[in-house]
Amino acid sequence: MLPWLHVSRQIIRSQRWFFKMAVIMLQSWSDSLKEAKKTALLQDGKRKVHYLFSDGKEMVEEYDVKTDDLTVRKWRKKSTLGAQGPWEVEVGDTSPVLTSEPHVIMESSSNPVLMRKDTKTSFQWRVRNLPYPKEVYSISVEPEERCCVIRTTNKKYYKKFSIPDLDRCRLPLESSALSFSHANSTLIVSYQKPREIVSLEQDLLRELKKIKATSEGDTDCRTQ
Amino acid sequence: MAAQMAATKVPEVRDITRIERIGAHSHIRGLGLDDALEPRQVSQGMVGQLASRRAAGLILEMIKDGHIAGRAVLIAGQPGTGKTAIAMGIAQSLGQDTPFTAIAGSEIFSLEMSKTEALSQAFRKAIGVRIKEETEIIEGEVVEIQIDRPATGTGAKVGKLTLKTTEMETIYDLGSKMIESLSKERVQAGDVITIDKATGKITKLGRSFTRARDYDAMGAQTQFVQCPEGELQKRKEVVHTVSLHEIDVINSRTQGFLALFSGDTGEIKSEVREQINAKVSEWREEGKAEIIPGVLFIDEVHMLDIECFSFLNRALESDLSPVLIMATNRGITRIRGTNYQSPHGIPIDMLDRLLIIATSPYTEKETRQILKIRCEEEDVELSEEAHTVLTRIGLETSLRYAIQLISTAGLVCRKRRGTEVQVEDIKRVYSLFLDESRSSQYMKEYQDSFLFNETQGTQMETS
Repeated sequence: MLPWLHVSRQIIRSQRWFFKMAVIMLQSWSDSLKEAKKTALLQDGKRKVHYLFSDGKEMVEEYDVKTDDLTVRKWRKKSTLGAQGPWEVEVGDTSPVLTSEPHVIMESSSNPVLMRKDTKTSFQWRVRNLPYPKEVYSISVEPEERCCVIRTTNKKYYKKFSIPDLDRCRLPLESSALSFSHANSTLIVSYQKPREIVSLEQDLLRELKKIKATSEGDTDCRTQ
Repeated sequence: MAAQMAATKVPEVRDITRIERIGAHSHIRGLGLDDALEPRQVSQGMVGQLASRRAAGLILEMIKDGHIAGRAVLIAGQPGTGKTAIAMGIAQSLGQDTPFTAIAGSEIFSLEMSKTEALSQAFRKAIGVRIKEETEIIEGEVVEIQIDRPATGTGAKVGKLTLKTTEMETIYDLGSKMIESLSKERVQAGDVITIDKATGKITKLGRSFTRARDYDAMGAQTQFVQCPEGELQKRKEVVHTVSLHEIDVINSRTQGFLALFSGDTGEIKSEVREQINAKVSEWREEGKAEIIPGVLFIDEVHMLDIECFSFLNRALESDLSPVLIMATNRGITRIRGTNYQSPHGIPIDMLDRLLIIATSPYTEKETRQILKIRCEEEDVELSEEAHTVLTRIGLETSLRYAIQLISTAGLVCRKRRGTEVQVEDIKRVYSLFLDESRSSQYMKEYQDSFLFNETQGTQMETS
């Protein structure tokens, strides 16, 4: 057998292995979602779902009842010493909760703010308070660091962000899926959702609708 | 002349950093030993007690070594012979990271928790765990600091801080605490700083290279650093020391809404403690954490009762136990909670586990030396004769009484606008304030005219 043929076959094999692995990984995330203890709550036209995973992490998702859009997804985990950490927002409004206690240092409200707001077909990030023209921005994918980077030529804004959904399913990042637009001093970055994610989300939503949701707000949360 | 001087005296500018008050042992800075652990006659606020200080130095080495757990030391001696001073000296020489917990024997008798719980908490406060934790820091070059004082002169200051990296720029709103520490650290535009987001601690890394051409007056030690790259906020692993008790509290606090009201910890369940012990030893095996055994100091240890002593006996055997230092000024006395007499009021089986350091009364020369150190600490100037008189008072009454007279005599002297305390000032306060023996004498003479003297019962028990 010719050596190059041998090599190419190996490549094919390794690629096949990669896809197999990807399917397994995809499987493992959807499995852990299935295994997580879930509690659902219908409130203010939103379906709120609380997940408790076997490793102690908690996740809360909020879906709009009418459109089935994901409006909020946040995480909470325990620190090394066992203290309850704060909620970390992955999707939805990230503006900090105003507390009465005096803050030490806080970002000024005039700074650019990044928040994620997905649509059915794409992941979407909005950066508000960015008044500069469209030519200033450049957005790229860093496959080895598994993140996207927003750069500005006037060196005013720089942000690295990962796409946790793709990380959880171990899917590769494609620069072709990325696009952006700018209007009303808001930069909108979109990333086309891969097929696997779309089907996973549809499955999940179907699953969630099966959970009997309590409509009363003050019932005990079983998973907590 | 003196009045004029006082009138024109500029009001002293108070430094915010020095807010400590002068306590009974604030002149102690260490044990006063040299590298070979030989005690110097006068050093680090310590005077005399050479043998006990050397012994304490050996204990200190053992603690620093950190391998030996659960040793107990007793410092015994008459009142006012420097037992607490030696313990404080040990605490001072241990440094920042080694936990030193000091309690008084009577502190554990509380209605809110049992004696043994209070003791276990004290034990666990004295064990440190050095562990890595992730924190959020802000690292960047200062572009601008803007601090607005309110027009009325009072009220909270408002501030903004602009930081940049090579890629971006962000404006931060500052709280009043942050403004204060920024001005304390003398942060100015062009400095590269890091701020711990949770605690607000500022660290100056140096000045930015872009400012190297500024013709500012700069110290020779000014370091130039590159402007940081990438994002301003970074996650960084920092090593810090927490006590086992703190981990207990974090893990036992009632969750959610109730946590707002239960400020204090109350009793901690033994299951929680066991769980944490297991977790900590797991961390230690994985190399994630390091255990730093510290020191638990129990002053007035004769106030503990027999239950506490048996608990201590047991607790000292655990490998997660700190070095225990106890101090007492009692001789042979009743063990609290029993009718048995024992040396120092400590059961014999407990005494058997202890290394005992004895302190002896100070000599005249040493008393003189201590009084001199205290005068410096309390900022009182003493004339030579007054010093001699005070030393005599110290020898005849007690060292504590003589030390008390320093600040009072200083006040008397200041009221008569003197600069140096004279013998008259000492005499004045000596006549104004009774010492213990004169007070007892007075009591014996005038007992009949005090209230409740008609019921001459048995003497009050004080042991």
